[in-house]
Amino acid sequence: MRSALLFEERSADPDRGDAVAGLDVTEARDRDLVRAIGRGNEEAFRGLFRRYAPSAMAVARRVVGQPYLAEEAVQEGFLALWRNPHAYEEMRGSVKAWLMATVHNRAVDLVRREETQRRRAENTGPHEGLVVLDDPAESVVDEMGLPEERKVVRAALEALPPEQRAVIELMYFSGLSQTTIAEKLSLPLGTVKSRTLLGMRKLRSTLSGMER
Amino acid sequence: MTMRDHSAIEELLSAEVLGGLDDRDREALYREMGEHGPDCAECRQLRDEYGEVAGRMAFAMDPAPIRPELEEETVELARMRGEAVPYRRVRGGRAGLWLVRRRHRRPHILRPLVAAAAAVLLFFGGWAARDLIEGGGPPFDVTTARVVTFQGEAGDLAVAYRPGQTGAYVFGSNLQAPPSNRVYEVWMFQEGTPVRGACFRPKPGGTSLTYLDANLETAQQMAVTVESPSCPSAPTTQPILTADLT
Repeated sequence: MRSALLFEERSADPDRGDAVAGLDVTEARDRDLVRAIGRGNEEAFRGLFRRYAPSAMAVARRVVGQPYLAEEAVQEGFLALWRNPHAYEEMRGSVKAWLMATVHNRAVDLVRREETQRRRAENTGPHEGLVVLDDPAESVVDEMGLPEERKVVRAALEALPPEQRAVIELMYFSGLSQTTIAEKLSLPLGTVKSRTLLGMRKLRSTLSGMER
Repeated sequence: MTMRDHSAIEELLSAEVLGGLDDRDREALYREMGEHGPDCAECRQLRDEYGEVAGRMAFAMDPAPIRPELEEETVELARMRGEAVPYRRVRGGRAGLWLVRRRHRRPHILRPLVAAAAAVLLFFGGWAARDLIEGGGPPFDVTTARVVTFQGEAGDLAVAYRPGQTGAYVFGSNLQAPPSNRVYEVWMFQEGTPVRGACFRPKPGGTSLTYLDANLETAQQMAVTVESPSCPSAPTTQPILTADLT
């Protein structure tokens, strides 16, 4: 139910500021594409797919560990937008974050349901940290300004204390639950929870520019 | 106006957006947010801002190469969308909607013909037909079988089964080919719960003949979805064909 919770319908709230201040041109263009998708524009759908599928694939592959399951997660994420473009609400954040969260949710659902976690562990061994791929899509993405986003997000992650970063990365990039991480790292569950919260507060502050 | 404590919600939400909550904690999150109600501005702000953080974390990774065909395959799947019918997943009991088209692309007269052709094949083809059947299964006398056609635009599909007995054949013609890395998966719905039937890919001419080792008497509906070759144990996409067995 994660995706339903995170992006469920809500009305605009005039009492709070937009979660994403200072929208850039890329975001404005993304929103135009989503509006066009709402009118059934297939080219707009292809446009968003070409722009974000490589990043979506990267995170999906990392979570599920198997290329065909990753493709499934990516397709389902984009198809969710095609089927219900109104599920994305501009007041709630950026298109790219919404898409990535949708794909990530799908990937986590897949990995838990299909128990590929066990197979992936057998194939790839222990947690490896962020993966840097030799990437033929890099040149395409370069043209779209995503390297800057990557730099900002990586810097935010690297600025975290290692113990907080480890917990957050295991959760997000390996699809592990807090309970599983506590077992894996031989830590009390409460410690895992507090590290998650502290780390995410810092990321929230850094990435949204909001002081806590 | 009293200030409400959001510390529990923030702790749970910050993990939920990362996919880190187990079911018990997720229930606790929903309970807490439910108590605050849908108009809780701080709840929404926490949810949106942590959601944005988690979404952007994907960009920490270098992009991965995409198969050249994937875009076209995804667009193909998008074109298969349609109107909504309710469903319930096998595990997790997650409520949701499936989308399925109910308009018919070609006249109904063709569907009985498909069924009749398959019946003849099964009845007279005897053991020779076994080579054509995905999933094995013995030929049976379909003159005593019930034949039900599927509704949808992906092609003509029918199921033949003998009420009260195990074993059914799903046969199709004019079926669209699924994307190259996908198969069709047949589901039987028992009290709204989808139960895995079998996976198949149509032959080059769009025909198929698949054996189901199941007793359909306990099923009320059937459906076909496009799935990965792993044949998942629960549907992951919307049905493209459905049949009412009641």
